[in-house]
Order: sequence, then C-alpha cells, then structure tokens
Amino acid sequence: MTKPAALNVYKISKHYQDGSRRIDVIADLSFNVAAGESLSIMGPSGSGKSTLLNLLAGLLELDEGDITLALKDQSFSYRAANERSRTALRRQSIGYVYQFFNLVPTLTVLENVRLPARLNHRRDLERHASTLLGEFGLADRLNDFPERLSGGEQQRVAVARALLLKPPLLLADEPTGNLDAENSKHVAELLFSSCREQNISLVLATHSNEVAAMADTRLQLDRPSPS
Amino acid sequence: MIARAILRFLARTPWSTAMALIGMALGVTSIVSVHLVSASISNRLDGLVPSTFASYSHYLHRDELDSADYFALRRLWRAGDLPALKQLAPLVDETSQIDGRSVRVLGTDLLANLPSANANTLVGPFSWNGVWVDESLKDQLSMPINGIIDAPKGTLLADIATAHDLLGWPNNQLSYIGLVLNDPFAGSIEIAEKLLPGFGAGFPSAEPSLDLPPDWQLVSNAEQYPAREFGKSILFNISALGMLALLVAWLLIYQVAVSWLRRIWPVFDRLHVLGVEWQQLRSYFLFSIGLVASLAALLGLAVGWWLAIWLLQISMPRQAVNLSLDSWVIFKAVGSSVAVCLLGGAWAFHRSQRTVSHSTLPISTTLILLVTATWCVLQPQTGLAGGFFAIAVLSLAASQTIAPLLIGLKRWASMIRGSYLMRIGVREALWHPRELSVAIAGLSLAIATAIGVALMVDSFRVDFSQMLDHRLKYDVIAQGDAATLNKIAAKNEVARLYDRKQIYRTTDIRVAGLLMQLDITRMDAFESSRYGYSRNLATNDILVSEQAGRALQLSVGEQLTVAGEVMTVAGLFSAFGDLKPRIIVDQHSPLTTAFGAGLKTKTNNRLQIDSIAFGSDQPDALLTDLRQRFPKLELRLQSDIRRVALDTFDQTFAITTVLITIALLVAAISVYIAVTTMRLNRKTGRQLLNTLGVNRTEQLMMNTALGTGLGLVAIIIALPLGVMFGWILCNVINPRAFGWTIELQLSARALLYACGWGMLAAIAAGILQGGGREEGAFGER
Ligand SMILES: Nc1ncnc2c1ncn2[C@@H]1O[C@H](COP(=O)(O)OP(=O)(O)OP(=O)(O)O)[C@@H](O)[C@H]1O
Ligand SMILES: [Mg+2]
Repeated sequence: MTKPAALNVYKISKHYQDGSRRIDVIADLSFNVAAGESLSIMGPSGSGKSTLLNLLAGLLELDEGDITLALKDQSFSYRAANERSRTALRRQSIGYVYQFFNLVPTLTVLENVRLPARLNHRRDLERHASTLLGEFGLADRLNDFPERLSGGEQQRVAVARALLLKPPLLLADEPTGNLDAENSKHVAELLFSSCREQNISLVLATHSNEVAAMADTRLQLDRPSPS
Repeated sequence: MIARAILRFLARTPWSTAMALIGMALGVTSIVSVHLVSASISNRLDGLVPSTFASYSHYLHRDELDSADYFALRRLWRAGDLPALKQLAPLVDETSQIDGRSVRVLGTDLLANLPSANANTLVGPFSWNGVWVDESLKDQLSMPINGIIDAPKGTLLADIATAHDLLGWPNNQLSYIGLVLNDPFAGSIEIAEKLLPGFGAGFPSAEPSLDLPPDWQLVSNAEQYPAREFGKSILFNISALGMLALLVAWLLIYQVAVSWLRRIWPVFDRLHVLGVEWQQLRSYFLFSIGLVASLAALLGLAVGWWLAIWLLQISMPRQAVNLSLDSWVIFKAVGSSVAVCLLGGAWAFHRSQRTVSHSTLPISTTLILLVTATWCVLQPQTGLAGGFFAIAVLSLAASQTIAPLLIGLKRWASMIRGSYLMRIGVREALWHPRELSVAIAGLSLAIATAIGVALMVDSFRVDFSQMLDHRLKYDVIAQGDAATLNKIAAKNEVARLYDRKQIYRTTDIRVAGLLMQLDITRMDAFESSRYGYSRNLATNDILVSEQAGRALQLSVGEQLTVAGEVMTVAGLFSAFGDLKPRIIVDQHSPLTTAFGAGLKTKTNNRLQIDSIAFGSDQPDALLTDLRQRFPKLELRLQSDIRRVALDTFDQTFAITTVLITIALLVAAISVYIAVTTMRLNRKTGRQLLNTLGVNRTEQLMMNTALGTGLGLVAIIIALPLGVMFGWILCNVINPRAFGWTIELQLSARALLYACGWGMLAAIAAGILQGGGREEGAFGER
C-alpha cells in the first residue's frame, strides 16, 4: 500500500562550522512520509536528530536539497521560502514537541494549548482545547501554570497543543526522554494514536527502542565524521 | 585554569560583558555629572560674594562706626570676653564713582591677608597703593592694579588706607567689622557640602552667642548677601534630588554586580561540583567585578565630566564653563562605585550560595524604621536630618515592597486578559522577582524622584507666582538713593502720572532677641491684600512672614510685644527669598513712633525709606519721567520684575529636568541589564515561541508588553512614593531649611510627565534586544 507522500525529503545536507572545524551533520539524506504515517529517527547522541527535526520545522536553513510538505491545496517548498514564510508555515501547519521546556511558563495550561488557535485566529478551535485536555486527563488542571505540573503532565499538554490545529506534520524531539517508563508509554501512545486517527504525519526522534518500534518506519542516523 | 574558564566564558558573551561595563560607567557618569553641575552652580553663587570676604561668617554693624570702636572690641576679645569669636577685621565697603564708573570699593587689612590673586592674572609690578579688581575693571581704571580677584562685576579691593583715599573718607571711618565665629558644626557641614554640593545651605549656621553692647548689630553672611542665599536654597533642593540620583546609580551598580554573578553562576556551580572551593570562586568573582568597576569608574569619570560641561552649556548658554575634577568627586564616584560593587557582589554571592529567600530586611526592622521616619516627619526638632532620614527610609521600604508585590501580582496573573502575546509579555514582568526586583526598585525610585521633584517645583512655582501676583500690584518701583526717595515721599515732585503712591519705610529690629526686618507703610485694604489679608490693618495689628512666625512660634490671633507695645498677629504671609524674618505694621501703628518716624538717613537701625511704589495707568510714561528727573534712582517696571523673577526661577530649575532625565536613563539601563540577564539564564520560552511560529513583529509586541509590565509595577510603587517625596520636600524639608512652606499641588502635568517618561524608559529596556542572540552559559541544543 503506497500512500502519496505528505512530507518529501530530497537529498538534503546540513553542516555546522565550529571555528575552523566543519561538521557535516546531514549529508545527502532522502526519505518520504505519507499522511497519517509515522517515522522514528534513531541514532547516537550527536548524530543529527535534532538538526534534522529543526530542518523539517524550517528553523534552520538547508545547505543542499529540498523539503516539500503537502498542504491542503498546494505543496510548500522549504528551499524557495524565506524565513518569514517558513515561520508562517510553522505557525499554521507544523506541531512541535520538545524533550522539555515545551510550555510557555507565563501562560496557563489552557492558554498554552489555545495559543496556536489564537496565533492563527481560529477562535472556533478554542473550545476544542479544553475537550482535548479532558481527553488527556488534564481537565482539572486547566488554569494552572506549567510550573505546577509534573513532567508527564507537561508533555501531555505539549502533545495536546501540537495536535490542536490538526496540522499535516507533527515533529517530536525525544518527547519521552524525560519521563519514566509508564509516563513515557502513555505519552507515546497518545502521540501515535492521535496522529494516525487524524491523518497527521509524525516524525519523532528518540533513544528508546520501544517508542521507535511504534512507528511505521524507522530511520537510523550515524554520527558524522568530522573532516 | 579556573581563570581561563571564566575569561573564556566572558569573551563568549561580549555583548553582556560590554553592557556591564557600560552600565556601571553610566552609574558613575550620573554621579559625576550631578555632582559637578551642583558644584558649579554653588561656585557661581559663591561668586556673588567677593572672595576675600567669603571667609567671614558674620558682620557687625553700628552707627557711625570708626576705628576706635573696632579697637575697643578687639580689646574685649583679647581679654577673653568674646570666646565665640575666632577672628575679626575692620572693613570698608562703599560704592563710589571712580574714573566715571560706579565701583564698589572694598577695603581690608591686607597686611593680615593678601588676596590670593590667580597667579597668571597678576598685572604689572606689585605696589602698596595698588588695587585688586575683578575681571570687568581690568583695563578701566587709572590706578596701578596688582591683580585680578574673583568678585562680582565692578568690585575693587584695596588696603584700608588706599580705600579711604579713593573714597575720600576720614582715615578712621569704617563700614563694618568682619567676624569669624566658632561653629562646632562648620567642619562637618563643609564635608557634607563637598560630598553633596548645595547641601550645606539647608543647615543653619550656629546661633552666635556674643555678649555685645546693645547698639551693635550682628548680621550673618547669609543676611548680608540674600541673593546668594536664595540661590543656595534652591540649589539645596536640587541637591536633595542629587542624593536620590546617587541612590539610583548605586542600585544600578549593584544590579550590574548581581547580573554579572547570575551570568557566571552556572560556571561556578560546575567548578564547585568539580571541587573548587566557594571561597576561591568568590575571590575570582570579586576580582573580575572589581576590575570592571574600576575600568567603568574611569570611563564614567571622563564621560561625566564631559556631560556636566555640556549640560551647563545648554542650561546657561552665556556662561563660561570651567569645571575641575577635584579629589572629592573622584573619591565619591570611584570609591562609592567600587565599594557598592564589591559589597553588593559579596552579598549577592552569599545569597546565591544558600538560596535564601529574597527579603533583605526583616519586616519588623522596616516597620520600626517607618515608625521612626513618621516620628521624624512630625517632630520639627529633628530638623533636616529627620526629613532626609524619612526620605531614605521611604526609599528603602519601597524597594523592599517590590519583590512581595511581584509575588502577589503573580498570584493574580491568570486574571490578565487580552491578546495572548500581551499576556505572555506582561506576566513575564512579574515572573522573576529575584532577577528583576532590584532593577524595578531603581526604576521606581527614579520615577518617584521625578514625581517628587516635579511636584515640588510645580507647587513652588505656583506659590511663587502667586506671591509675585500679590506683591507686584504696583507698576513702577523706585529704590536707591535715600535723599531722592525722601524728596519724592515728602512732596508731589512727580507729575500726576500715577494714581497711587506707596512709601515703604523699613528698619532692622530685635524681637525677643531675634533680628527682624520691620516694614512700615500705609496698610489699607489694597496694600494688605498684597499679603493675603483683605482688610485695613488695625494700628495694633501686625502681619508676620512665615519665617518670623516660625522663629517666634506665633500663629494668627496670638500676641507679640515689640518695643513695649502689645501687637496682635492678624496674618501670616509667605515670603520666598526673604532671609530675615519680616513683620509689617501700619504707618499709624505705635511702632512707627517707637522707632522714630524721623526721616533721618545714613543709619542702619533707624526707620528709613526703602522704596516707593506707584500704581499707574501709564507706567512707561511715569518711568521716563522719573528717570529724567532722578537719574540716581533705581527704577523698575513691575512687568520686568515679574519676568526676571520667573526666568531666574525656571532657569535654576531647568537643571532639575536634566538631572531627572539622567536618573531615569540610569534606571532604564539597569532594567535593561536585568532583563537581558533574565533572558540569558532562564529559558524564557523565546525559542519555543519561535518554533510555534511567532514572528518578529509579534516578538516586538511581546517585549513592549514586558516593558509596559515592568513600567506599571514600577509606577504602582513610584506614584505614592513620589507624592510622599513631594510632600516631604514641600512640608518638611523646605520649612525646616528656610522657614517657608510650599503648598503641595498634585499637578497632573508633573505626575503624567514623570510616569510617562518612566514608562518609556521601561518599554525601551524591554524592547532593546542586543543580547537576545547570545546563548546562555551553556547553549541549548
Ligand atoms: N549551533 C551549532 N553549532 C555548531 N555545531 C552544532 C550546533 N548544533 C549542533 N551542532 C553539532 O551538530 C551535531 C549534531 O547535533 P544534534 O543536536 O542534531 O544531535 P542529536 O542527534 O540531536 O543529539 P542528542 O541525541 O544528544 O540530542 C553535534 O555534533 C553537535 O555538536
Ligand atoms: Mg537532540
């Protein structure tokens, strides 16, 4: 069964310049992710997982190659876009979950989840935010500030926020890295099942074999060799 | 190894390191410039007294004084009968026409003290019958000139014998005797004056207790030179502001030290984990911050000096500016900044080490201080020190409330509504009490100072111009030559160009042992209204100036015995600028006869005509007429007096605007440094927001909201504090220093102006993003 690719990564490379040292983190990498499918990225520390996710989010600029993301009626080419339109893309079409520091400390739980709706002027989705938090078992924490929440609760809020807009692409960088086994499983299941149900493409970096195994496809990165 | 780790860290965040240096330098700059500006004004006012006379603290006057009187006094002193007296000298002081110019001739015993002429201005060879003159007479006189002295325009100084020759006086005639009286506080007042120029003026000189025969009159330097003294009193108010500016600068320097520590703390933490002792780390920290402070102090010294010159040039365009960095200002700027920095740094280090709660003073101590301050405000005998103590305690208490206020507000933070980005920004201002409270306290204090001083100046101006309105009811005022005044008073020498002629007679008297000025004139309803009293003044009634009322502890309705006559106080009037306490009676009052209405002249303590005022429909015509007929009179138009008075007032206070601006700028920088540090060391979610697709414009909006939040918190504290400052300045400091009260006007202009600028400063501090791109101590990946 081959679904059309929602996310297309074609021959991309990325390097960092650290003083006189050049690190080629990503070299000539290509892959596809279909709508509603998931990809897990594994690899040792320093292999470029975060870098890849940041490229997919449009936070970093590509050296070579291109990334295209299929949107409702057109496809978005990262290479042709400037920083402004990449920022707009993130706002409208990409959800992101980090390992920690996911929540704006000065917004309440509910406000954090509603934030994407506000930024996109989608008042209609605001009611959905509390429903979502209810489903994630956070109904009684709506008006708390994040500092009062446990790590697992914070991650669930972050997942809820990433899902609110039903974006075509959701990126997660070690979303369970900070959690114990039980919480880790809970958050990962939430992520995978929600994306599958809502036809969202999920790209997830992880060190955990268990979490990686839940994905449809796996991608292994190797530590770059400095040159 | 450790040093290298620290240095590398600092080099990697060059922007923040530079900001610390600049911030501290700015603190020093403000200290230096405020000091130099005040010192320069103070010097200019001192210039109103000829330098050779400046060392006398008092003068002795007497009718027809001659050298026999002087020697009699000297014998008394030598015999030990005048222990309060340190030194005395015979003086000649008379204005005369020399070489066609009006010259004030000063004669003194030059054998005792040669004038310290500026070395480079010695003109020609020294000669005993030569004279010293001020700059303006340099090439104008035909006699030999020995040198140039610092003195008002048209002053000539010579040995007594030479002065007698020049004036054509008999060689035993004297004008008065200069005295130096022992003042136990003189030393400390002088040090206070050196450290805070202008401060000395508010402290009364010791009340002299000289046992003199009754016909002698003792006059203080202040009474002898009232213009200088009034200027000094305004300067004193400015120097109160200088004190607050100093406080704000210290807060900034402390803030820099704290930020520096916060920035470097993660490095220390790891080094400590690796086994480096805290003590060693502290030495490293104090050494590095001390180095920055010293560099900054030098930089600030130079910039402050330059800034002061520039300020003086714009506020007093026609004056030559000549400033020198004396050791006092260097001590004050460098010493205080390095000390505050090291002490503050050590304190911050101590606190970081054990993560204690942020309250610096226990509440009970603050409460006790506040109660003491209130007591000081209510008890006039605590004097000026009491007033300043109250201001200091209020500032301290206010800065103590910032952290609890932030914590309290944070509890209500979820109530803040509006756009989400605005919520983030405003709440961010409340979120970090530890990092931000010092800076907010500084900003608060600066705004409060601005409010307090602006309220005081505005109220002062309202009262002052009201006083002018009252007083300047006449259109032309004549003063000067006594004989001419007598002539005009006696007959209708003047063409009927006026509809009212008012003659003022005046003399100095002693009431309950205090020297006062007695004014006698026709006190009908019109004249009385000039002093805020709307009826004819009855013959046994008396009006007293605020200063007199205070000195004699009198209020309206009470009775006072003058020269054996019982008088009733009918009213009090305000008299800014008056130095002597003043009392006014009607011309038919028994006091008129008591002090001899005889129109004798040339005496100091018998009634004589001081001035004559005219009410007229055609003031210009009257002025021309008077001028033609009596060239010796000094004539002034009411409108001119008013303009000059208000101009002088505004010009003097223009400098306050500049000083306040500096304080606000300093406070804004300290907020900026605090915000930058907060952003560096706390993950504030900026990167997160970027990931969520918040663009640059929206980030700017958020930062504006943050700045607004900071400004609001600062203003919440500053508004009441500033009003209290204003009230204390008007009702405590000024009455205690000068005997006059200023009625506090809550002028909206003053409040808005101060808060507006404070808010702008806070917003600017929030928006500025120089350090935003730098990564924290250990960059997040
Ligand atoms: N801003 C940067 N400048 C220079 N080098 C960088 C930068 N960011 C990352 N690197 C380097 O690029 C490489 C890949 O980093 P990245 O963070 O993508 O790894 P990662 O796979 O996410 O590691 P981890 O599992 O520890 O999170 C590392 O060698 C890192 O040192
Ligand atoms: Mg990573």
